[in-house]
Amino acid sequence: MEQNSVNMYLFRPFVKIAGWKAFGLGLILVLLTAVVGKYANVMFDGVIDIHFTDNVSFAHSFLFLGIDVVSVVICMYVAGLLVSRNFRFIDILGTMTLARTPLTILAVFALFVQSPDMEEILHNPMIIMSYTSFIILIIITIPIVIWFIALMYNAFVISVGAKGIKMTTLFIVALIAAVILSKTLIHLIV
Amino acid sequence: MLPVYCPSCKSQLKVKSLKCENCETEVSGSYDLPVLALLSDAEQQFILRFVINSGSLKEMASELKLSYPTVRNMLNEIIEKIQSHGTK
Repeated sequence: MEQNSVNMYLFRPFVKIAGWKAFGLGLILVLLTAVVGKYANVMFDGVIDIHFTDNVSFAHSFLFLGIDVVSVVICMYVAGLLVSRNFRFIDILGTMTLARTPLTILAVFALFVQSPDMEEILHNPMIIMSYTSFIILIIITIPIVIWFIALMYNAFVISVGAKGIKMTTLFIVALIAAVILSKTLIHLIV
Repeated sequence: MLPVYCPSCKSQLKVKSLKCENCETEVSGSYDLPVLALLSDAEQQFILRFVINSGSLKEMASELKLSYPTVRNMLNEIIEKIQSHGTK
């Protein structure tokens, strides 16, 4: 078992940490993401969404991230119940919250990025090429989002303890459902 | 560790004879190995630690420095293995 490898700490930290401990740490990071996101002018308006905007309020920053966590936890918990009854809600809550760590890193990166004005881009799309830091952010967003999804997948696998193609399919369906749920809730509330 | 599978064809081994070291009496036959002996050394150690910890997965997790669901999954795998041996 790869108990101490870099791969384990990067992709499967839940082998070591889950439950309330993971939730506590994950919550601190989610709150940090909300605060940094407000100053970086990024909105996490969906489970796997990150958008630049002109002015993000603290209320919206916290609310969106809260909706994201609740949506993903509800959908993954329901999906988990379809394959196993032998798991704890707190493990799903804890690991799914901690799995959002990559977004904190993304928000910190975004602090140092100068983003172009949306109207400017619509008027002249090539203007984006003069915003180097913005292009770099777009490039690093791809591996970070992949890392984030891999973390959620491993959080689901370890918390629920199921295996096989059925579990993978359920994870994908639950993730899509969580994206739809979060988008719907944000649309209804805001 | 006790060999449980045939090194030649990988079939499950049986006990052919048992010997008393005191009076040299030998009992011969064809006896099944106990299910626990069919598990790996690590799995047997896990079961021993589980019993010593009064069946507490929380204490096992703390002792092994692993998360609760990881330890529960390890236990589930052993249960599956025991059940599959039981049905053979």
